[in-house]
Amino acid sequence: MSNTIETRNLTRQFGDVVAVDAVNLSINSGEIFGLLGPNAAGKSTIIRLLAGILRPSSGEASVLGLDLFTQIEEIKRLIGYVAQYFALYPDLTVYENIEFYGGLYGIDNQERLQQQLELYDLVQFKNKNAGLLSGGYKRRLAMACATTHDPELIFLDEPTAGIDPVTRKELWELFYQLSTTGKTLFVTTHYMEEAERCNRLAFLNQGRIVALGTPGQIRASLTNQQVYSCEISHNPELTHALMNLPGIELVNQFGSELRIIASTLVKFDELEKLIGDYYAKPFRLTPVSPSIEDAFMSLTSNGADQ
Amino acid sequence: MKLILALMRKEFIQLRRDPRLVGFIIVMPIVLTTLFGFALKLEPDNVRMAYVDEDTSMFSNLIKTNIWSEGYFDLYEVDTVADIQNEIRLGRARAGLYIPGDFSAELAENNQPSVTLFIDGTMPSLATAMDNNSSAITDEAVTADMYFSDPDDPLVVIAQDPFNLEIETLFNPDKIETWFFLPGVVGILIMQVALILTSTTVVRERENNTLEQLLVSPMTRSQFILGKIIPYVIIALIDFYAILGFSWLVFDMPLPNSHAVLFILAVAYLAALISMGLAISTISQTQQQAIFLSIFVLIPSILLSCFIFPIEAMPSYIQPIAYIIPFTYFVDIIRGILLKGNNFIELIPQFLALAAFAVLFTVFSILRFRKTLA
Repeated sequence: MSNTIETRNLTRQFGDVVAVDAVNLSINSGEIFGLLGPNAAGKSTIIRLLAGILRPSSGEASVLGLDLFTQIEEIKRLIGYVAQYFALYPDLTVYENIEFYGGLYGIDNQERLQQQLELYDLVQFKNKNAGLLSGGYKRRLAMACATTHDPELIFLDEPTAGIDPVTRKELWELFYQLSTTGKTLFVTTHYMEEAERCNRLAFLNQGRIVALGTPGQIRASLTNQQVYSCEISHNPELTHALMNLPGIELVNQFGSELRIIASTLVKFDELEKLIGDYYAKPFRLTPVSPSIEDAFMSLTSNGADQ
Repeated sequence: MKLILALMRKEFIQLRRDPRLVGFIIVMPIVLTTLFGFALKLEPDNVRMAYVDEDTSMFSNLIKTNIWSEGYFDLYEVDTVADIQNEIRLGRARAGLYIPGDFSAELAENNQPSVTLFIDGTMPSLATAMDNNSSAITDEAVTADMYFSDPDDPLVVIAQDPFNLEIETLFNPDKIETWFFLPGVVGILIMQVALILTSTTVVRERENNTLEQLLVSPMTRSQFILGKIIPYVIIALIDFYAILGFSWLVFDMPLPNSHAVLFILAVAYLAALISMGLAISTISQTQQQAIFLSIFVLIPSILLSCFIFPIEAMPSYIQPIAYIIPFTYFVDIIRGILLKGNNFIELIPQFLALAAFAVLFTVFSILRFRKTLA
């Protein structure tokens, strides 16, 4: 089977709450697939379902060609999972952590463990207690622990949450490195700049996939909307007035930039006039091409309205 | 002051948000108080006593009836004095009574015959209580009709007691107090170590977020539970022998006649404790809850086992609790091995009980652990 992950109407309910609602995904071998969505959209639940630690309520799914319902134990040997939290033993050293997690997969090859230390740049901390590492290195260690058994498919649940931009960039270089060796990476995030780095993306909102495709396709998916940018300082009355205008989906202030996502039915002149009513000084309203964040905001706010 | 209040407020709110903890804080002491209020009595009653009455006369019956009516003892008959000792050795009786065949004849002759009372010297409260209550046997109600006047001189009544009561303390003849308690204390200490160590072990994985990482690995639930139990059994075993060795060295505790038997039974006891600790761990959400639950188990284990009071002396509705406490069986085992010289065959019921606990709690943990995932 060419597709690493294939799901059909994958659903998971917690009581009355549908956390994952009829999700259809198809993830190719060797790609970095990003799952985006606001908090509580169901990202972690999907990962946990696919990693076999939560049972789906209904639907069908295969992971690495194996059935998620009947072959979980086989799947578990072939996947790596890096949880959102640091699943490390703070009182064990870096090496002991890797050794232990390797042991869970029957790996006791010293060379392999050493390789992991090198790959994740942990050699100098080999004998340091994991609890004493910085956030970035804890993340590296968590990845080293989750990949000692050389999994084909790696799930990374918010791997860069709370990590500074420099370290984040380094971690992404690692992801690419893994990707070039043929590994498939399944990443959840809510950093937009990370979304751009993925080969393909899915947007999840309230348990549903609301968009799927390459970053370019996602950006282009705002066909019924036009994004406008305006250099203007924050004015709550203006924001309020804009939001009351029919066809305005979203008004978002970034420092001195006001970003407006409007239906294509909204006329440019109409918009310019409204802003002029609240803003005496000259300003320049320009139609711009949508960013991933625009798409994200638009798609998730639509979802919330429905 | 405001700052202290802010912290105080937060502590109260947090406590209230953990309903289980509130339960432990309020319900646990009430349950235990109720339990002990009913169960704990310094005066044992319904203590089983094996007797041999070779005399079967009106006089020997008088002695037995009086003992019976005092309410301390449940009498039942066996064939020989050796049987009495064996009944006590196996723990089926805590006391014994022997009335020799020539008792009434000797009584009539004013020869002051002897009646022998056997006491289980391994039961601390019993030995002292019976020392105090043995007067029931030589009580006036019994002896009143046993005075025979001298046929040669009918007016002179014999001043001495009509018969002697000989008390024979078995298995701990010198009533060395250390031997009453120390073997059981070893069991208590090891229970405490085992429960506290293991009851937090699964919860800690959960609190550390490492549990999820274990679940995603190919390790099965049984492997996980066994991998948790076995190291702690080994640690507890080492600890057990350290405490025991110390007791042998410093307090001159008797040695077992078979180290192999002691070892096997100790392993069974520890396996029962540790699987119990693990079961506690799988039903606890926090380490705090686990510790509370352990203490909740620990205290009744000490007081409701036969460590201090014989089980049969407890009210009948409390007795079932004693039988679901692993420590109850271990007290029998360790006293049996160190003091009474019991062999393995004689301790098979206790062994089976402990093994059953171990299996039960292990299976429970595995099943329960499965539930915590989904």
